[in-house]
Amino acid sequence: MSVAESASGEVAILYVEDEPDDVWFMRAAFERCGLSVSLCTVSDGQQAIAYLAGEPPFHDRTRHPLPVIVLLDLNLPLRSGFEVLRWIRAQPGLQKLTVIVFSSSGRTEDRRKAAELGASHYTEKPTSGVQFREVANDLKQRWLAADGAG
Amino acid sequence: VKTDSNTPLTARPMPSWALSLVLFVVLTGAMAYLRLVVFGDHTVTLSYGWPLLICLWHRDRRLLWSLAAAFTAIIAYKSLILLGGGLSADDAMHVLNLLIVAVVAHAFIILFEKLEERRRALEQSNDELKASHEEIARQNEELQAQAEELAQQNEEIQHQSEEMQQQAEEITAQAEELQETNAQLLRRETWMHALLQALPTSVRPGEFADRLCEPLQTLFGESADAVAIIERVGDELAVLAHRGAVPLGRSRWPVDKSFAAVVMAEDRTAFVEDIDLRPDLTIPSTEGHRPRSVLATPLRLGGRPAGVIMVYSVRPRQWTADEFRIVEWASAQCSLAMESHQLREQLARTNKELDSLVSQRTAELQEIVQDLEHFSYTITHDLRAPLRAMHGFASMLDEDCRDQLSMESRDYILRITTAAARMDRLITDALSFSGAARKEFEMVPTDPGRLLRGMVESYPVFQPPAAHVHIAPDLPLVLGNEAALTQCFSNLLGNAVKFVEPGNTPRVTIRAERRGEMVRLWFEDNGIGIAPALQSRLFGMFQRLNKSYEGTGIGLALVKKVTARMGGTVGVESEAGRGSRFWLELKAG
Repeated sequence: MSVAESASGEVAILYVEDEPDDVWFMRAAFERCGLSVSLCTVSDGQQAIAYLAGEPPFHDRTRHPLPVIVLLDLNLPLRSGFEVLRWIRAQPGLQKLTVIVFSSSGRTEDRRKAAELGASHYTEKPTSGVQFREVANDLKQRWLAADGAG
Repeated sequence: VKTDSNTPLTARPMPSWALSLVLFVVLTGAMAYLRLVVFGDHTVTLSYGWPLLICLWHRDRRLLWSLAAAFTAIIAYKSLILLGGGLSADDAMHVLNLLIVAVVAHAFIILFEKLEERRRALEQSNDELKASHEEIARQNEELQAQAEELAQQNEEIQHQSEEMQQQAEEITAQAEELQETNAQLLRRETWMHALLQALPTSVRPGEFADRLCEPLQTLFGESADAVAIIERVGDELAVLAHRGAVPLGRSRWPVDKSFAAVVMAEDRTAFVEDIDLRPDLTIPSTEGHRPRSVLATPLRLGGRPAGVIMVYSVRPRQWTADEFRIVEWASAQCSLAMESHQLREQLARTNKELDSLVSQRTAELQEIVQDLEHFSYTITHDLRAPLRAMHGFASMLDEDCRDQLSMESRDYILRITTAAARMDRLITDALSFSGAARKEFEMVPTDPGRLLRGMVESYPVFQPPAAHVHIAPDLPLVLGNEAALTQCFSNLLGNAVKFVEPGNTPRVTIRAERRGEMVRLWFEDNGIGIAPALQSRLFGMFQRLNKSYEGTGIGLALVKKVTARMGGTVGVESEAGRGSRFWLELKAG
């Protein structure tokens, strides 16, 4: 997998989320956990696809590096998380990209559909914003360590 | 006694040896004594032959000839030894005498023997005859007895035969009566059959009446030349159906002044003997085959006269009471058939309307269900996000500004986070309840023991020292859905460890009981228990029976709903303060 690194040399994680509070909590959690990654965020499915495809305004890979992990909410404006996931898995270059579905839905059919569409993992959003730290910790230990980030 | 004819005749008994020997010794001795001792020196003309005659009594031919030989020897001995001379003529005479007697005796003995033999044979055959005679007498008696019995039976049979004859006569009489009734019924049945056959077919009312008309004419036979079913439509009479050789000429005519109007108004059967004598009544007719007499009865629809059945004749005549009965009966049947036909048509129309209504409503409902599903999905996301933020920010406020906050402020923050967490749980529980109510489960044989052990292993609250959960080994398989069962078990186990007196360690035992086709899983705890009066509300939605424990009041409602969806039941046995025994009954897997 060819991973473009940002100017600072950090790997990037793309967080697709329309709730500003959740983005805020995720950033706080990353800081608290000392994750040295650049957290890129987009707020709808359309933008997520544009980002990953490198289309304007995300064509500058130094400012918008290709992520090693995509954190993907399901309930998104314009195009849903499932549509984004389906699009990702249809791209020849993105077959092996780690996509973690991050949704407040605990429904079994959503979990099953995510798995069918090729999600690497399914994490249910915690009840509290502070618990995003646990998600950040999990990312650090489980997903970034394996990639040998840094 | 039967004689065995195969046995040979018994042989003549041999004369006694001993007696022969004694006679021989005595006679020979006596003869020798007389000849040799008493008359030893001279010859006496004594007959030597006489002693031999003893053999006619003791019939032994050996004795006879032995005596003859012995006496001859004595003669020889006396003549030759005692007297010392030769054999004299006397001696020869003696011997001859002896021989003659011996021969005669011999002949007699043989004769006697033969006679004896004959006598025996005769006696034997006599015995046989006697026996067979007795046998015949006995058989005769038996035959007599049998003959008497036969005579008695014969008498009985004769008696029965007479009875049967009487019964047969009675039956014949009944059969004749029945045959007569049958013939009557048969005619009516034919008509009813035609009536019923006309019923199920969906045809126009006119066509339907037409079908009834033909068998109606048959019912009257030759006494009717035509029949018609006529309905009143407003101020006119309309011919619904008509059959027969008399044409009516018109299909509609005014009610006013018609015979039909009279019959309907009086609401009873009536006839016109000769139409030509009643110029006041309009009775439709054409030239040629004109009806001369008519019988009419009201045809009721919905209880009121709505028409008439007319029976026409080409000759003036009186109509009999029997014909009255037939036409009234036919009218009643026609009414029923026509009403039922109307109802059927109406029912078919209503059914069709209902069908389209049902499919319309179903489509609407499906739309509503989809809307609801979308609604609950949106609630999950849109309601939970602000709660997450509330909880998160309050927690961070508590963390980051702990030193600057008063105890009171921190209590407020705690209350905010508790409320937010509770709200979130309410939302998730309500969602899983509505999900369980809608979802179709795939049912497979499932091992409840495996699910329960996995649950205990994954959650420290079910492990010592927090709680002691004992799962009986070898719980039987149940027919269920793994996700649904997990939902039930986690609620029941969660409740069991939650509702205990503070300071008590929860102890939970899970065991199974086979109940025929079903398996009942028991969850027994040492918790606070439930008063019997409250147990009926336990499985209701949003029922929280004890507010000192955390909860949304959805858990057991969810267990009940999910279990019902798996075709099972749920219940509880408990007393306040003595623990609870919850049970879950499912089909065996």
